[in-house]
Amino acid sequence: MDMDSMQLFNIVLTGVLRGGLYALMAVGLSLVFGVMNIPNFAHGEFYMLGAYFSYFTYTYFHFGPISSILLAAVGTFILGAIAEKTLFYPLRKRSKKNWIMNTFLLTLGISIVLQNGAKMLWGNTYRGITQYWPGKVSIASFNISNDRIAGFCIAMVTIAIFWLFLNKTTMGRAIRAVSQDETGASIVGVNLNVIHTLTFALSCLLAGLAGAILLSISPAYPFMGVQPLYKSWFVLILVGMGNIGASIYGGLLVGLLETFAYMKFGSGWQDVVSLAIIIMILIFKPRGLFAKKGVKSVSE
Amino acid sequence: MLEISGIDTSYGNLQVLWDVSLNIGEGEIVAVLGPNGSGKTTMLKSIMNLVSVKRGKIMFLGQDITGKPIHELTRLGLAFVPEERHLFPAMTVMENLLLGAYTIRNKKIIKETFNRVFELFPRLAERKKQYAGTMSGGERQMLAIARGIMSNPKMLILDEPSMGLAPQNVLAVFETIKKLSAEKVTVLIVEQNVNTTLTVADRAYVMEQGRIVMEGSSSQLQGDDHIRKMYMGIA
Repeated sequence: MDMDSMQLFNIVLTGVLRGGLYALMAVGLSLVFGVMNIPNFAHGEFYMLGAYFSYFTYTYFHFGPISSILLAAVGTFILGAIAEKTLFYPLRKRSKKNWIMNTFLLTLGISIVLQNGAKMLWGNTYRGITQYWPGKVSIASFNISNDRIAGFCIAMVTIAIFWLFLNKTTMGRAIRAVSQDETGASIVGVNLNVIHTLTFALSCLLAGLAGAILLSISPAYPFMGVQPLYKSWFVLILVGMGNIGASIYGGLLVGLLETFAYMKFGSGWQDVVSLAIIIMILIFKPRGLFAKKGVKSVSE
Repeated sequence: MLEISGIDTSYGNLQVLWDVSLNIGEGEIVAVLGPNGSGKTTMLKSIMNLVSVKRGKIMFLGQDITGKPIHELTRLGLAFVPEERHLFPAMTVMENLLLGAYTIRNKKIIKETFNRVFELFPRLAERKKQYAGTMSGGERQMLAIARGIMSNPKMLILDEPSMGLAPQNVLAVFETIKKLSAEKVTVLIVEQNVNTTLTVADRAYVMEQGRIVMEGSSSQLQGDDHIRKMYMGIA
């Protein structure tokens, strides 16, 4: 391979690996917005909790990598369910107007409490591990650590399972039904309270899983959730809110874009490029690149 | 089967229903007629707990269902087809129907109900893969009724099924109601299309300004002077 195609290959490889995890985060964020109309600004904190979960299970309790990651997923699922039942459910009963603004403020509050709670409990230090799976793989003279490859594979398998769940199971169909017409869903017998709790918990699970997978690359730290949160919002703005399928492509696209900007213009420029694109999208295509026009606008 | 006794319903401070009572026996087709804004839809929403009842009681199959959440009513055998339809626009006809059978766990029963629904609405069988949001008004109304039938209800509640439909579709909808009643499904139907409704209904109630002002068998009402003047335009 010549220099140019080598560089291109490197960009695609790094970008896709990075994008797979953005997709994992963005799918959860998109799900909660689509089904519950909650712009979740605490999504990054569940990513942070996932990282801490797997850090403690891996280093203190000496679980294997897979069980640590799975336990982090289960843990964040339970925390998400508790948060929905104790915070969003009571708010839903009382708030009829300004739901989006109210939940935005609530999630912002949750985010601050969780960040500082983590700081109080575990201190301001980075807690990481060197590697889940020691070793690397060589692909066309590039060395990629096993962890990155495994992380990408886990992310893709999770997204695939999740997609099957949403499209092929009764529960998954009910979640999509609630996102399209809440009254219609309760008319056919769907218990909205159950679906709301399940949706929020699943979204937290996806974020927690991402945090756990990336532990060897970005160590657990109280404020580590801020960056991934912004990245997931970027994906959502890019592809359109509440469009779960498109957030998968969106995640990969953002991963590629950032890697390209990083390698072409140098470190620090990836955010400039991302934010410039967000501004352009908001001005020229505020519903996102893949807003579902044909289907949604004809709806009653 | 369904017994409403003396309900009052208000939106905030505005009282819409005043002491409304009605009674539907098993296998009957009962219509509620009345002009726009007379409270017909509010009465249905009171049954389905989409608005809360201030006073009075609603019984279904001997059970007090006043204030019961709507998803539990579906499990009891009530199917509601609202005027706004509330379909799932980004899902296919098939998925909408599958969700109609959400409360049924038995796969065999779901399959049988599918056959029954496709027999009633051959048009839907041709369009299984089409998205609900891209269908015409008549097709959507059929899909909404079909989705209601998918739950194998003991009683079907229809709110203005002929609303916005072309005449031949109106006839198709009323044909379906007749067929359903032949299958022992009880039907409560709210309509403004008085003429056609009285030809399929066994009995009817007339609502005006939030009160039941008249009730009787369809033939009685068809001969009544007030009804002929107000609703049929016959002097």
